[in-house]
Amino acid sequence: MTTQEKLAMLEEIMELESGSLNAGTKLEDLEEWNSMAALALIALMDEEFNKILTGKQIKEFKTVQDILDFME
Amino acid sequence: MINPLDLTGKHILVTGASSGIGKATAIYISKLGAKVTLVARNEKKLEDTLSKLEGEGHSVYPFDLKQVEEIEGLINNIVSQKGALNGLVHCSGIATMRPLSMTRTAFLHDMMLLNFYAYVELIRCSSKKNNFTEGASFIGISSARSISGDKSQTAYCSSKAAMDAATRCMAKELATKKIRVNTVIAGFIKTAMYDMFVGNAGEEAVNSYILGRQYLGMGETVDVANAVAYLLSDAAKFITGTGLIVDGGFLS
Repeated sequence: MTTQEKLAMLEEIMELESGSLNAGTKLEDLEEWNSMAALALIALMDEEFNKILTGKQIKEFKTVQDILDFME
Repeated sequence: MINPLDLTGKHILVTGASSGIGKATAIYISKLGAKVTLVARNEKKLEDTLSKLEGEGHSVYPFDLKQVEEIEGLINNIVSQKGALNGLVHCSGIATMRPLSMTRTAFLHDMMLLNFYAYVELIRCSSKKNNFTEGASFIGISSARSISGDKSQTAYCSSKAAMDAATRCMAKELATKKIRVNTVIAGFIKTAMYDMFVGNAGEEAVNSYILGRQYLGMGETVDVANAVAYLLSDAAKFITGTGLIVDGGFLS
């Protein structure tokens, strides 16, 4: 899976315009990064990447890159 | 002196007996004299529950209740080996939170399998001739969330509401067999499942939201076990087709 595809998934769960995210985007700057987006991310990791993501791990994410790294 | 909650000699099947409410219920009703049959996926954890039970005649049947088609065989085995059921408590369940945007049919189905389909199937099979005793009591652990909805809980709340609705129907249908069917509508109870919920939802949000409404504080598994014991006992012989709310005031 390419980085672009992963970014597109993140844009979808946060309902952001296509192309609006990049790896360096700080999560705290995103109004759409909220508790519902975090739950959607847990579901995404489970369904698409077969990974268990916990609330504690989510709190450690600072940038979009941190999420991309977790998807590896 | 009388003990209205006396369950001496009653054979009670408890699902989800490896942890949380199921485990606490199994231990509690064994202290009231019940002969408990424990069902859950994890054999090692079931053995741990078994080691904490009081009295004799208990047994474990490791089983994945998501294999709904296999439940009939399980119940037949249990009845032939351990005797007809005086009661059944379905505590197995999952409570995964997922926003509507990610609540696809496969996810809904997975939630319904354990929380709802398995519940109905357990009662369907246990209410067959010779599988139950007169005055049997069947119980599902429902949730205050079956009445009070929340974000990211569409699947969970629906599965519990389905459980409550089915309970009302089955109670009417099984009354002629002298079987009672009820749910316990539990509020927030301190379990590993609850800790997972807090981990996902965030402690701050949980504290202000839940403890603001559930004004008796956090519930304990024994609070639910007490309600289950009551519904299992002959003291509740006039109670069927309802949900006993045990929620620390959450729904009030």
